[in-house]
Amino acid sequence: MKFFEYLLKIDRRIIYIVMGVLVIIPLVKPLGLGVSSGPRAKTLFDAVDSIPAGKTLLLSVDFDPSSMPELYPMLAALMRHAFAKDVKVLLCGLWVTGAGLADKAVTEIPPEYGKKYGDDVVYLGWKAGIDAVILGMGENIRNVFPTDYYGHPLESLAMMQSVQRLRDIPMAVAISAGTPGYTDWLNFAQSRYGLKLGAGVTAVSAADAYPYLQTGQLTGLLAGMKGGAEYEVLIQKNEYSKAYMPAVAAMDSQSLAHVVILLLVIIGNVAYFATRKRGA
Amino acid sequence: MHVSTDILTWTAVILTLGIFSFLWKDNPFYKFCEHLFVGVSLGYFISLTWYNAVYPDLFRPLFVQPLSEVSLGNKLLLIIPLLLGLCYFCRFIPRVSWLVRFPMAFVLGWGAGVTIPAVFQTSIIKQMQGTFLTPGIFARWDVFLWAIVSFVGVICSVFYFFFSREHKGALKLASETGIVFLMVGFGASFGYTVMARMSLLIGRFQFLLRDWLGMIR
Repeated sequence: MKFFEYLLKIDRRIIYIVMGVLVIIPLVKPLGLGVSSGPRAKTLFDAVDSIPAGKTLLLSVDFDPSSMPELYPMLAALMRHAFAKDVKVLLCGLWVTGAGLADKAVTEIPPEYGKKYGDDVVYLGWKAGIDAVILGMGENIRNVFPTDYYGHPLESLAMMQSVQRLRDIPMAVAISAGTPGYTDWLNFAQSRYGLKLGAGVTAVSAADAYPYLQTGQLTGLLAGMKGGAEYEVLIQKNEYSKAYMPAVAAMDSQSLAHVVILLLVIIGNVAYFATRKRGA
Repeated sequence: MHVSTDILTWTAVILTLGIFSFLWKDNPFYKFCEHLFVGVSLGYFISLTWYNAVYPDLFRPLFVQPLSEVSLGNKLLLIIPLLLGLCYFCRFIPRVSWLVRFPMAFVLGWGAGVTIPAVFQTSIIKQMQGTFLTPGIFARWDVFLWAIVSFVGVICSVFYFFFSREHKGALKLASETGIVFLMVGFGASFGYTVMARMSLLIGRFQFLLRDWLGMIR
């Protein structure tokens, strides 16, 4: 019984160290456990894949650096997929603290495919008033964003000649870390203007997104780092990208950490019930 | 292994380790990093709000652009949001603090008017439609099975929140079945939450091992 009592009193710092070591080892020496893509990621992939060349994919960057490890790989993978299919990418954001992350993606990814800013990709930036921004974009994007993030008037950007409002965009994907995020796009763009909408969300908010998937309001869902890894696998398998896959690289650590947490939960419960029985 | 020589990377590393130091125990190094984060975030938020919204949409057309570029009517129209915005600052002056009710009334009225119909349509009407048992569910056995599970789950979970009658008999059975569905939902949320926290930890370790120490690709 002393053993079980000892288990219940393990110093939390020992658990942190064990967890830290088990996360680091697969990053330094990958285990190669592999990632399989699920039906939700495949649905989103197929929807993006079916956008005709020359049309526009809207990506809403609704996250900040605190959720970057989960969501940035999704953003990068979606942009790579679009560029490989000659689909233009229009970015905007509902999170002011995410403005720099979209800028990073716009700077780094289009050159990989020889795409030019203004012709193939435009970043609108961020504006205050989430609901009003989405509703305004449904009427006329220029009214909400007269200039892009870098100060260029939208009239001067070739790509924007064919994109006046949300109805000109065949599909959007909201990459969201919470509120504001995909729910605002559902409420004000999907429901009102019929915009086809996919979502990439943090794992924390994934369970909340499933009902919208089941009703068909969302077309595909990427949930957490696993969702990002699934999409990376899909675009690599279809030879749309040969870039480094950060989410896939992290999945070995993720799997190992989950095994440890499962073991700790089981050990904790067994020790609790064993000691409780004796106490009773 | 190529240790970074970039001062910004080193700054991020020191701040990351400072935040991690809380895992050992609360300490001044952690507190410094925490306060710095809050201050920088707020400063970043204020400057971006000014340059992306207030200056181009209000200040510039109202005070900088001449009448040849912005009509007098538009300028006068912009005075309304300016006054409403200024009313927020009245909160700091006790004698006129009541003026803050005007912008709040506007925001609440507009917000409720715009949001309630949209949320009702998206989260209630569409979700109810999704729960209905339609002839289409008989197309495949798995679709039929999950449609039944969803239907029973929704009905029983709603019964759990029915408080006007004592939960006994059939109502007790339904509400206890609802608890099972709720527990499954909470379990899924917890599992996903664990994954999210682990992802963030992995992301930080990737930064330390790749960007700082150059140990991984």
